[in-house]
Amino acid sequence: MALRESLAYAETPTRAVATNAAKAKQRQPRRVSRQVARSAAVVVGILVGAVALWEGYKAMGQLTGDVIPFTSIPLPVSSSDYAMPHIWVIFDALMQPANAGTTQSLLVYYLDQTSVTLREAGYGLVIGALIGVVLAVALREVQFLTRGVLPWLVISQTIPLVALAPIIVVWAGSAGMPSWIAVTVIAAYLAFFPVTVNMLTGLNAIDPIHDEFMQSINAPRWFTLLFVRFPTALPNLFTGLRLAATASVIGAIVGELSAGTGLGIGRAILTAAYYYSNAPENLFAAVLIASLAGVVFVQVITIVEAIALRKRTN
Amino acid sequence: MTINTPVTDARPAISLRNVTKTFDAGGGLVHALDDIDLDIAPGAFVSLLGPSGCGKSTLLRVIGDLVKPTEGVVEVNGRSAEAARKAREYGMAFQAPGLMDWRTIRRNIELPLQVQGVPRNERRARAEEMLELVRLTGFENHRPRQLSGGMQQRVAIARALAFQPKLLLMDEPLGALDEMNREYLQRELLRIWRSTGTTIVFVTHSVSEAVFLSTEVVVMSPRPGRIADRIPIDLPYPRTDETRMTEEFYHAESRVRTALHSVLEPVQVG
Ligand SMILES: Nc1ncnc2c1ncn2[C@@H]1O[C@H](COP(=O)(O)OP(=O)(O)OP(=O)(O)O)[C@@H](O)[C@H]1O
Ligand SMILES: [Mg+2]
Repeated sequence: MALRESLAYAETPTRAVATNAAKAKQRQPRRVSRQVARSAAVVVGILVGAVALWEGYKAMGQLTGDVIPFTSIPLPVSSSDYAMPHIWVIFDALMQPANAGTTQSLLVYYLDQTSVTLREAGYGLVIGALIGVVLAVALREVQFLTRGVLPWLVISQTIPLVALAPIIVVWAGSAGMPSWIAVTVIAAYLAFFPVTVNMLTGLNAIDPIHDEFMQSINAPRWFTLLFVRFPTALPNLFTGLRLAATASVIGAIVGELSAGTGLGIGRAILTAAYYYSNAPENLFAAVLIASLAGVVFVQVITIVEAIALRKRTN
Repeated sequence: MTINTPVTDARPAISLRNVTKTFDAGGGLVHALDDIDLDIAPGAFVSLLGPSGCGKSTLLRVIGDLVKPTEGVVEVNGRSAEAARKAREYGMAFQAPGLMDWRTIRRNIELPLQVQGVPRNERRARAEEMLELVRLTGFENHRPRQLSGGMQQRVAIARALAFQPKLLLMDEPLGALDEMNREYLQRELLRIWRSTGTTIVFVTHSVSEAVFLSTEVVVMSPRPGRIADRIPIDLPYPRTDETRMTEEFYHAESRVRTALHSVLEPVQVG
């Protein structure tokens, strides 16, 4: 009697399984595709927002004669077409041939150069992330490193990049390496730090109950690290990777400015700045493409994150 | 005489001598345990009962070597608690389930077996067995968050049992369950205990649960945490749902309740 009652009361597994499994199956891909849609919206939103601000600023400057409305304080940047070309002029420039004598448009040329830069940034990110994770583990597991090494890591990030980049380029050059390697090293140098810091926070943030449970079964340190600390730190790792992605793109562009080759969007920006008085819109076109590339790069990381963590929350 | 009656001349499974634990909680010292002497016979089922904050969880943690006593000695099967923990003799279930979100239910239960290096197939088989025991067959591929709190607690129990430990330390493992599943798991716990001969130390807030399960109920008093009374429960095993309705059960319950009230009284008056 009592048994039958309690059996009837217990969850009827088969039905619950069927509905829950179906739900889970729908939920997980939907989460990822929702993130893809959100990322696309971010890119479009940033583009539209930038255009609106740009043209809004120009229109206001034209109306007030380049002063802040109802004051006589001059605007920080002139709204003239020389200092700030119209958006459509910039877009139009992208459609023109990149050089006299080629049919390749400036857009295609810049995208080509951007792919060079993103490749350097990508390698830099991967290398920087690996170094960052290894450092975080070392800093956690080896007590004296935390005190001895962490301050040096902080100092390493305060050295001005513009001072460091030429040194790395020179050293790589004297070692006979192609300049893209130097650029990759600079990107990695900027990328490892946010990964280390965030990963270290995550590794130390395990649930006290998990900690106690692992102690109660006398789990070896490496086992707890691999099967508890790492999974706990995964969301932190992605926070670090997103910051590192931004940093690695900046590192790659600044690195290219110091490097001798004519490749990369950083190099293209430098060239466009040099010929600014001839064609101001070219510089803004290059900066626009570089910025969009950075945004897309970070969104790719965000999508990978959504895939990696898709089963965690519901 | 039933098989689980403690044999008096055997070495105790758990032995605490003058165990004291003080916590330094920001300024004031908290005397969580004060001069505890306790012997638990092999194969005993001992419940710790007492008002909130009297040190039940702390006592359990000291036995399990998760907390070092400030003073005193803890021995488990003739050696230190630390040696017993290192030899993986404990299975533990805590007040909160503490499952891992990134693992499926089955892989949560397999975790202690994985530490032991049990081969994959055997691990899987054992996990299935344990899930059946806590009546969660069919949920092996779910994530902890897809289960209710009570179901998660049942998984935590399955995880503690998967180890087939010599000693089971359980901190209010059934507290979050509804009456039906609670009574079902009480019966199952007794069945496992009787078939394995495991020594169990069990923290609970429920007088009737303590009486139904235990060979002995240890009543603790708070501030400082002390053992107020030890009450042997002489009801014969196997205990069934009918046992709960017998006069002997009622008497045992009354004795425990009286001991508990004498512990609580000063708090109510002051
Ligand atoms: N890590 C700690 N640091 C400081 N004080 C602690 C710590 N753990 C427990 N205490 C204190 O020790 C006392 C006993 O706590 P314990 O958790 O053992 O009580 P309990 O009997 O299990 O209570 P409950 O029934 O509410 O679970 C309490 O006063 C508590 O505040
Ligand atoms: Mg407690």
